[in-house]
This record gives sequence, C-alpha cells and structure tokens, in this order.
Amino acid sequence: MYSLIVAEAAIFTIFVVAYIFYIGKSATGPQPQDVLSAPIFFTICLLSSSLTIHVALRFLKNGKVNSFALWWLLTIVLGALFLAGTAREWRRLIYQEGLTIQTNLFGTTYYSLVGLHAFHVTVGLLALATVALFTLLRHVRQEHAERVEVLSMYWHFVDAVWVVVFVVVYIVGR
Amino acid sequence: MAVELTNQTGESATDTIEMPASTPWPIVLAFGIALLFAGLVTSETVSLLGAVVSVVGAVGWFRDVLPHEAHETVRVTRQVPAIMTTRHEVARIEIAPELRRAWLPVEIYPISAGIKGGLAGSVAMAVIAMLYGLLSQKSIWYPINLLAAGFFPAVASDTTAEIAAFHLRAFLIAVPIHLITSLLVGLLYGAMLPMLPRRPILLGGFIAPVVWSGLIYSILGIVNPVLNRRIDWLWFVASQVGFGIVAGLVVSRQGRIRTRQQMPLAFRAGLEVSGMLDEHRGEDERR
Amino acid sequence: MSTESIAWSTPQVAAQRPVVERLHDWVTTVDHKRLGILYILYALVFLVIGGVEATVLRIQLIRPHNDFVSPQVFNRMFTMHGTTMIFFAVMPILFGFANYLIPLMIGARDMAFPRLNAFSFWLTAFGGLLLYFSFVGGDGLYGAGNAPDVGWFAYAPLTSKTFSVGHSTDFWTLSLLVSGFGSIGTAINIITTVLCMRCPGMTLGRMPLLAWLNLTMAGLVVLAISPLTAAQLMLLVDRYLGGHFFDTQAGGSAVMWMHFFWVFGHPEVYVLVIPAFAFASEIIPVFSRKAIFGYPVMVAATICIAFIGMSVWAHHMFTVGMSAAGNTFFVLSTMAIAVPTGIKIFNWLATIWGGQIDFKTPMLFCVAFLFQFLIAGLTGIMLGAAPFNWQLGNSYFVIAHFHYVIVGAILFTLFGAFYYWFPKMSGRMYNEALGKLHFWLFVIGFHLTFDFMHIPGILGMPRRIYTYEPGRGWDTWNLIITIGVFFQAAGLLVFIGNLLWSYRRGKVAGSDPWDAWTLEWSTTSPPPTYNFATIPAIKSRRPLWDLKHPEDPDWQYE
Repeated sequence: MYSLIVAEAAIFTIFVVAYIFYIGKSATGPQPQDVLSAPIFFTICLLSSSLTIHVALRFLKNGKVNSFALWWLLTIVLGALFLAGTAREWRRLIYQEGLTIQTNLFGTTYYSLVGLHAFHVTVGLLALATVALFTLLRHVRQEHAERVEVLSMYWHFVDAVWVVVFVVVYIVGR
Repeated sequence: MAVELTNQTGESATDTIEMPASTPWPIVLAFGIALLFAGLVTSETVSLLGAVVSVVGAVGWFRDVLPHEAHETVRVTRQVPAIMTTRHEVARIEIAPELRRAWLPVEIYPISAGIKGGLAGSVAMAVIAMLYGLLSQKSIWYPINLLAAGFFPAVASDTTAEIAAFHLRAFLIAVPIHLITSLLVGLLYGAMLPMLPRRPILLGGFIAPVVWSGLIYSILGIVNPVLNRRIDWLWFVASQVGFGIVAGLVVSRQGRIRTRQQMPLAFRAGLEVSGMLDEHRGEDERR
Repeated sequence: MSTESIAWSTPQVAAQRPVVERLHDWVTTVDHKRLGILYILYALVFLVIGGVEATVLRIQLIRPHNDFVSPQVFNRMFTMHGTTMIFFAVMPILFGFANYLIPLMIGARDMAFPRLNAFSFWLTAFGGLLLYFSFVGGDGLYGAGNAPDVGWFAYAPLTSKTFSVGHSTDFWTLSLLVSGFGSIGTAINIITTVLCMRCPGMTLGRMPLLAWLNLTMAGLVVLAISPLTAAQLMLLVDRYLGGHFFDTQAGGSAVMWMHFFWVFGHPEVYVLVIPAFAFASEIIPVFSRKAIFGYPVMVAATICIAFIGMSVWAHHMFTVGMSAAGNTFFVLSTMAIAVPTGIKIFNWLATIWGGQIDFKTPMLFCVAFLFQFLIAGLTGIMLGAAPFNWQLGNSYFVIAHFHYVIVGAILFTLFGAFYYWFPKMSGRMYNEALGKLHFWLFVIGFHLTFDFMHIPGILGMPRRIYTYEPGRGWDTWNLIITIGVFFQAAGLLVFIGNLLWSYRRGKVAGSDPWDAWTLEWSTTSPPPTYNFATIPAIKSRRPLWDLKHPEDPDWQYE
C-alpha cells in the first residue's frame, strides 16, 4: 500500500508540476484570480473526515463495531459533501464563467488536477461505502481492523493530496 | 551426504500445504479494464462492456478473498532432493601476507610540526634577506620594502635610496605577508615531507626552492616588471634554500603520528563494530 | 534417482489431461512460477515481433534509395519496434524472471499478492494486444491511421490531433497506460514480497543479489512509470477533451512533454539494466566458483545508480536547449553515474579473478556482457558531455550507444539467464553446442551491426531517416550493419529452436545442475507448486554452500 501511495504521489506530483508551470501562461481568459474562490467549508469537510476515519478505526480496534459504523458513515457523509462541493464549483465555472477544459491552459490544468483528485475521492468513497455495507450486514469484526486500516491510509493520502492541491490551486495559483 | 535444510517454523509434520487457489477473476478484471480503455479507440459500447466485465471481475475477486481467502490444499510429494556437490575441495586464494601501501604515508607529522617549521624557516629567511640588504644596500629595510612592493607596485617606482629607507606602511604589509606565506609553506612541508622519497631535506630544502625560484624567475617579468629589475636572484635563491632547509629540519625533528590509512573503513567511519577495536590493539602491540 | 522420476512424471500427467483443462489451469493460475513463465513466453513472442520489425527497418536501409517499404510503414515500424521492445519484450521478460526467481530465492512459497500478480500479468498482456490491434483497428474515423508512427517517445506536437489524425497515437497511449498499471502492480508485488516474505534467517544482508537488485528495480518502476502514466493521461486529455497541455499555440509547452517523458524514460533504462546486473551477479560467481566480490558495495552501488538515475533525465534533451546551469547539472549527474557502474564492473571482474572459470553458455554471455557494457558506458559518457551531444544528438551514434546497452548488456545477460535457469524451469538441460552456436552467431551479428553503427552516426547520419543519398560515405556501413542483423536473427532462431528441442528431448537436469548456491537449486526442477515442502532456514548468503561444505561454511566468514 505504501508503494501504491508512492506511485500515486508521483502521478500527482507530475500534475502539480504541470499546473505550477502553466500558472499565468494562459493565452486567453478567464484567469484563476477572476473565477476561483477558496472552498474553505468543503476543505474543512474533507480534512475533518480524516479525523473521523481515524476515530472510527480506533473504535474498530477496540471492538466497538457500532461506534465504528457511526463514525465511518460520518466519514462518508463528509467525503460526499466535499465531492458535492467540487461538483457545485465546476457547475458554476462551466455555466457562469464559461471555463471548460478546452477554454485555455488554466482550464486544462485546473480540471485535470482537481478532477484527478475528485476521481480518487470517488474511488475512496466507493471503497468506504463497500466497507459500510459490510458493516451494516454485520460482516465486519475486530479482526478486520488491519484491512480497514489500509483503506484509511488511502483516505489520509487523498486528504493530504488535497492540502497540496488546495495550496497550489487556490493560494499560489491566484 | 543428504542434508535437509533445517526447518524452524514447526509445520513440517503435515503432508499438505495451503496455497492460494486458482482464480479466473484477475484475468476477467484485466480484460474488463483493457476493454474499458479500448472503447476510447473503438466505440462506447466496448467501453460499456468493459465496465460491466470489470465490475463482474471486481465482485468475483472480492468474493474470492472475503470473508476468507480461497485456498486449495496441495499434497506434498515428500522428495526433497539431496543437496550434494561433486567438488569437495575448497581452495582459498592466496593473498600476499602484507601489502603495505607504502606510497601513502603510514605516519605523518602533526600540524603543529608544520607551524613550527614554517616559523623557524621564516626567521631563517628573514635573516638571510636582511643580510643581503646590509651587504648590497647597507640597509636591512631594503628586502622588506621590496617584498611589500611585490604586492603593491606603487612602492617600487621609488628610487633605490628611498627603498632602502624605513617605511612603516611597507613594514606592516611585508611582515604579515612573510609570516602567512611562511606558515602555509611550512604546513605544506609538514604534509609533504613524509611522502618524499629518500633524503627529504635535500629534496624539500634545496631542490624544491630552486625549482620554485626558477618558476618565479620566469613569470615575475610579467607579474611585476619593476620588482623584476631589482631582484638579485642569487640571494633570492639563497634565502629560499635557507627557508627550506631550516623548515625541513625543524619539521623532521618533530614526532610522527600514525595515520588511519590502514584501519578498516568501518573503523574510520566511526562505526561501533564489536571486536574491531581489540583486533587492532593487538595489531599495534605486535609492531 | 528419485528426483528424475518427479521431473519425468509431471509433464506426462499433465499431457494426459484435455487441452482445454490445461489451458484453463494456465489462464486462472496465481502461481508465481506459471505467471513467470507466461510473462517470459509472452515477451518472447513480442521479442520476435520486435526483431522482425527491426529487420524490416534494416532491410530498408541496406542501400541508398531503397524502397522495400513505404515511408509511412517505415515510421510505424520504428515506432512499434521501440515500443514493443521496451514495454512488451524486455520489461515483461525481466518481470517474468523476477516473478519466477524471487520467491524461490528468498525461500517463499509465492509472491505476496498472488492474485494481484495474475492481474498485473493480464493487464500487461492485454496492453500488448491492444497495441497490436492498432494494425487492424487503427483506421479510426478518418481512414488515415494505422499503427502508431510518432516514434517511441512520441514528442509533441506530433501527437496532437492536427498531425496525428485517427486513433493510431491513442492506441499507443492507451496500451502503455494499461500495461503501465500492470507494471506498477508487479513492482508493488515485488517490493512487498522481498520485504515481507523472506524465509527465517534471511536478513536483508543475506539476500541473493538478484532479490536486492529487483527490489531496487521495482522501486524505480514505481517512481518512473507513474510519471509516464500521468503524462499519458495529460495526452489523453489533450486528444479527447481538447486540453492544451502540450498545445504550444494556446501557451502549452512541447518541452513539458519531453521532460515528463524522460523523467520516465531515463529511469526506465535502469529499470531494464538493473535486472540484467542481477543476472550477471548470480551467474558469474557460480561459473567462477567464487562468492561474489564486494556484496555490500554491489548493493550500495545499485541503490546509488537508482538514485542518480532519477536525476539525469534531461541529458536526453541537450539538443533541445537548456540553461547553462541545467546543462551543467545534467552533464555532471550523468558522469556521476559512471562511478557506481564502474564499481560494479570491477566487482564482477574481481569475482572472476582467480576463480575456476567454466565457460558454459551462460558464462559466455555474461563475459560478453562485461565487455559490451563497458563500451556502452564509455559512449554513454561521451554522449553525456553536452557539447559532444550537440554534435551527435539524434544521430546513429546515439542509436548505436543505446542498442549497445539494451542488446549488448541487457539482452546478452537475458540470454545468459535463459540458459542458466532453463534447467530449473523445464527440468531439462539445454543443448550446450547449440547454445554456443547461438552465442557466437549473436556476438558476431551484434558487433557487425552495432560497432559499425557508430560510424555513420559520426559521419552525420540522423536517426529515423527513411532513406539516404548515395555517396555520403554511409553506404558500406549500412550494408555491413544490415548483414549483422541476419547473423543476429539466425542466432535468435537457434536459441528458440534450442529451447523447443531441449524442452522435449533435453537431458534430465536434476535439481542442481550447476552446483550452485542459492535456494532455488535446493528444490526439484521444475519446482512443485509449493516450492519448498518445508520452509528453509538459512545462515549465510550461500545457504547451499553451507550444506555442501559443512566443514567450511560461509557463515563463519560473513
């Protein structure tokens, strides 16, 4: 899993490098400073989901499956909120600002980078949901904690990537 | 000579072994993903098919490993081949008993020896130079002014009488230059003398200064033509040789210390390895 | 002998079962040995295909103004030759050997993730099929495409929609993407296996060098293939969604693609060559009857190579034009790689030195490897100097240099590895006379082709040209180069014939035909599904030596 995360990190690095390289190189508008606003609320959602998944895992390790389920579901809700936030932002960008992936370099890099991250969040959510399903069907027990931990590692990684993406896109990029 | 590899895991008694069971799902999933991407170059239906196949493959795979990984039991055919060799003799490559790397000094002088040599040499050189000043211009200040002029050509444009007189500024410039240069050369001697083959005093005290003076002789005309005209090369060489011999003598009279050249890498790197220190202590005592 | 009866009985029992059932067994297998063999066979097929493509290229260039194939076909051939050889021939063979050997060498029963292993193999396999499907399916909407023709490094803007209509480039991108996922999966598997599945007593310092080197290789794969995946995704965004990553007219940068590609591309060379080092490090000691010289230094040098290898990519781009600081950095880092590589060469030489050398075919290939790799390294240093590179960049000199690495070093050790482990994999000995014939044919062919390829390069013949004018001094050299190709092709045929013949009729090998020292030789040939009936416990780097010489075991010295 660590290796997979290293590989994923390398992929993200390339995209981030491309984004940074292309900042301010767009031939035509709209420019990031005109259209982007930092999605603070949704960022807090995603980051706090790291916390909740950690708490959930604690409960599972101690054998409290019910509390685990509760916190696990909370994690999913927070993740889904974040995804909805991204969707809303994209909707606004596409329909109000007229920024699509074809418009200019900013559009290309922005949608690929944030989209790649959103894809990882989606994959993570699907995996989380699968575990949740098994939990509700009472198939998850204390001894599965190790496998679930691998998943939570992935989730932490996705969160950490968002911190980088957030800094690059919404702070440096503007 | 059949020797079995010993077992420490304690599972030898059984005659069956659990291995992961064969499963078709990896190939199904791989095919699905390939189709998914192939759809991009053919048509959407292929992608759709790929997605369906992928999901089927993933679900199947999941059911394989959850709740328990599928295993199949393989019967052990208990015939471990005998491990033997036809080559029973072991030869050892002879290594020459002691290959000393003589060209790297085994013992060197401490840094203090270089400093002492440099200082002593500087005195000797100054004495010879002043002797030259007294004999030729009747002034001990003459060589000091010349030395300063070597670095600040403005001084050298003066007349001979003026150069022979005492100048505080020239004195303050010349003394540090002389001391620093002497110290550095002394240190160089300290480092080099152990490496010089046979008769270090002759080589370092006489030949090297002559070579060095020759070098200066050939380039001084370009570097400082005014000074070039005024230097008496015989005395110059004499003072250099004086420095070399005195410095060399002083340095070579100091005690030597052993280098770490012959100690193993791990020891030089400061690694704590058991047994190493004792071994080398023993080696030292043997000397 | 009991061992012989096992080796005999396995194929016979299998032969009695219906073909479909046997096929089903192979398709659904998760056994690392079967997957290893699948990898190797699959890659051999592509090796032959890539070889045929190379032959087409060389026949076209045999004389000036030749028109053996059309320019379009020529472009496709060199693109497919490069892509096939790197991604679908050499890499899978290396993965196959790693798959087969690592668990056996570290005393494990299987890889860490057997199902992932199968999944990775099939991804690679389908990736290759997808690439070759382009010959029939590449026409796309415009009827203009066919197989990819943009060169194996597919520089922008050649890959943009404007210059590459149809789907040929997409086939290239997608197949590399799919097989790239497979490579990453295998690499993760290798890393986990080496780190977690070693048998009792096998510390990292007692691991066979092959395991160490493959661990390094897998680490490089993880770090190198990922940027390629990212770059391919960007290219897909450009081509399918109308993005502008590499579109210079919208402010994008074509040089960006070069950087991304070579960030993958140069470590990839080390991904390929480090397992070749691994084979040499296993074969040379056994045939010199000595332990490997400087084991820890070998490991350190390998890791050094991997590290420095990550920071030299832009020496492929001197002719693109970089800042003076960039040029200096990449020149120096490129030169620095020569140091650990030199250490390795000296260690191999020191291993051979004073040994009782037995010139069996595997050893012959390894000795040739030492010489050829040295020359390849020297021309590499020449090309690593930026001013020299400005003169000879993208000429046949470069082609000669990297074929010296890939054929002269990697393919030669690979052949050595084939002969060395063939008895273990099949239970039969290969034919020594045919093996030597193969060696000499290949050595002659190799040197005819690639030694003389340096010369037209120096005379200014650029790479990838379709044909050339007579009277530039290139004609004779090109003729010689092409003649060499036929020697190599003959050698390859002898090799494959030898494998097929020996598999059916070869002498039964027994478990340890080479009197070797690593764990894979302690089990039967071919090994049973479970590898070791009891998991071995070891005390030194050469566990079998300890057993063979109980009076003088290795662990007293390590």
